[in-house]
Amino acid sequence: MPRPDAAGMQLAPAPGPRGAVHESIDRSLRILRTRHWSFNIGCALFLLILAVLVLAPWITPYDPNAQELVKRLSPVSSEHWLGTDQLGRDTFSRLLFGGRFSVTVAAVIIAISVVVGTILGVISARAGGIVDEVTMRTVDLLIAFPDVLVALFLIAIVGPGHVALISALTLVAWTPFARMARSLTLEINSRDFITAAEVLGCTRSFIIFRHVIPNAYRPIAAITFLRFGHKLITVGALSFLGLGVQPPNSDWGAMLADALRFVERAPMLAFAPGFAIFITALSVTLIGQGLEIEAKPRGAGGDSPGDARPPDPARDVAKP
Amino acid sequence: MWTFFLRRLIVLLAALVFVSLLAFLIPYMSGPEPAKMIIHSRVANLAVDPDTVERMRVHLGLDRPLAVQYLDWLGNAVRGDFGYTFTDRLPVSDHIRPAIVVSVTLALTALALALAVALPLGALAALKPGRPLDNFVTFLTQSLVAVPEYWIAPMLTLVFAVNLHWLPSAGWRGPEYAVLPAFALALRPMAYFTRVTRAAMIDVLEAPYITAALSRGLGMVRTIQRHGVRNALPPVITLFAMWLSGLIGGAVVVEVIFSIPGMGRLLYEAVVNKDIPMLQGAIVVLVAFAVLVSTLTDIIYVLLNPAVRITDAQA
Repeated sequence: MPRPDAAGMQLAPAPGPRGAVHESIDRSLRILRTRHWSFNIGCALFLLILAVLVLAPWITPYDPNAQELVKRLSPVSSEHWLGTDQLGRDTFSRLLFGGRFSVTVAAVIIAISVVVGTILGVISARAGGIVDEVTMRTVDLLIAFPDVLVALFLIAIVGPGHVALISALTLVAWTPFARMARSLTLEINSRDFITAAEVLGCTRSFIIFRHVIPNAYRPIAAITFLRFGHKLITVGALSFLGLGVQPPNSDWGAMLADALRFVERAPMLAFAPGFAIFITALSVTLIGQGLEIEAKPRGAGGDSPGDARPPDPARDVAKP
Repeated sequence: MWTFFLRRLIVLLAALVFVSLLAFLIPYMSGPEPAKMIIHSRVANLAVDPDTVERMRVHLGLDRPLAVQYLDWLGNAVRGDFGYTFTDRLPVSDHIRPAIVVSVTLALTALALALAVALPLGALAALKPGRPLDNFVTFLTQSLVAVPEYWIAPMLTLVFAVNLHWLPSAGWRGPEYAVLPAFALALRPMAYFTRVTRAAMIDVLEAPYITAALSRGLGMVRTIQRHGVRNALPPVITLFAMWLSGLIGGAVVVEVIFSIPGMGRLLYEAVVNKDIPMLQGAIVVLVAFAVLVSTLTDIIYVLLNPAVRITDAQA
């Protein structure tokens, strides 16, 4: 924040350097207090995880693929913080590098889905008619199937690998965003400023990008984070089944699957990657939930014109 | 109301036909030509005499136009005949029939467990939104949503089966075998059900008819029983149906971990073994099931919620 200049000091009692620090802390605290607790905790946790994953090469004490067969399946110790796996590789190092894969794959899927889903939803609500009908029936169709099923189907055709995994999951992941964006747009469409923009002759894309999307972004951001956690778990599930990231690369799901054979001898080996998925998914879910609570004015029921069925966001967020 | 039903039914049936077409095309989209694939599934030697392949093609009618083959296949599929599996050469339907029973049992057990916890918990949280109890429930549901079932399942097995010997660790031979998998599967739907129940209850409790009932002197418990639950149910039912069809094929990981002979494991093994007839059968049956459940949900939804009927009649 800018430090108070001479002119400011004449008006207000001189804060001095200490005052400035206090003021800045006060302001940060005020911002933190206005956000929902769920958002704050989630953000702190998620940023911490991201930092650890980004800095992995500098944090990890060992090369994640360096084998030390003498020390295989060793327990937790000061030398190997989370023990070692069946080939004597350091679990902690592998966890951090595996996490880079898991989080990136889930993030790519979510990023594509948000953009595609939002744009399709907004367009279908603005255009109406046949465009709307086709898009929404496709959504109805895809929403009826669980993600894992569609992914298995596609992997059966193109074979396993992380590219297949990303395309398969993206194919189904955009639907909640499209539904959400559509119902938000229908609501925004009925507002006066949209009519004004239309009367002024603004172009269609101008209305969409300057009026509709900025007004719709909060709830969409909320479900983005909520679905991120879900994607993280689904990606892990497919890797767990050996259909995702292929060796020699490894992610949390694959690590967990490998560790299960030794679960009685080295429980930590199986516990750690699963816990990593859990805590990461939890952090983004907390963020999403916080945003959702903030975005929803109390007592606001969803009523969108032109839809026989009131949209229930649960359907979009809670999809299996 | 009827146009609404009809439109959805048409869409879903179209979806079924579309998926069946995709399933039919799997052998043409993946790997070498189907005749060669069939031979490969039976003989280990990869070098196959082209003559043999040609004879196989003619013998199985694979030289006919695709459309004819598809209609032929679809006709058989409608009668429940998906051919014979590559792996053990038994009819596909012989595998699917018991598997679907197992999967439905497991899914219903898990969802019943989820509902039993979620409905009271959600209603309780809704009574005083924003209070400590509500915050605790919110945090609990968030944690449950984030639990990967393929992590909690082995951990539960380790504790309750391996160390304590209370429950069997894998298999499907009696009710006790369903406990751990159902619990692992129930966590996420439980969290979602709680959240939806809470949201629906909050909306319902703010409604004028609740105030009216309370001011008439009806007790809180009776009010919720008579007016609250009925009006809070539709969203929960929608979600229940989604999870029912979701868990029947989507419980893949849990079924694999606990070696439960359900649809999920069937599908997974078909993918891993490249067992195409099995894959086709499993996918078509699962999609048909999803269509069935979805249609039933729509009907129940409308029966429970007269508002939908009125809205639609006006539209």
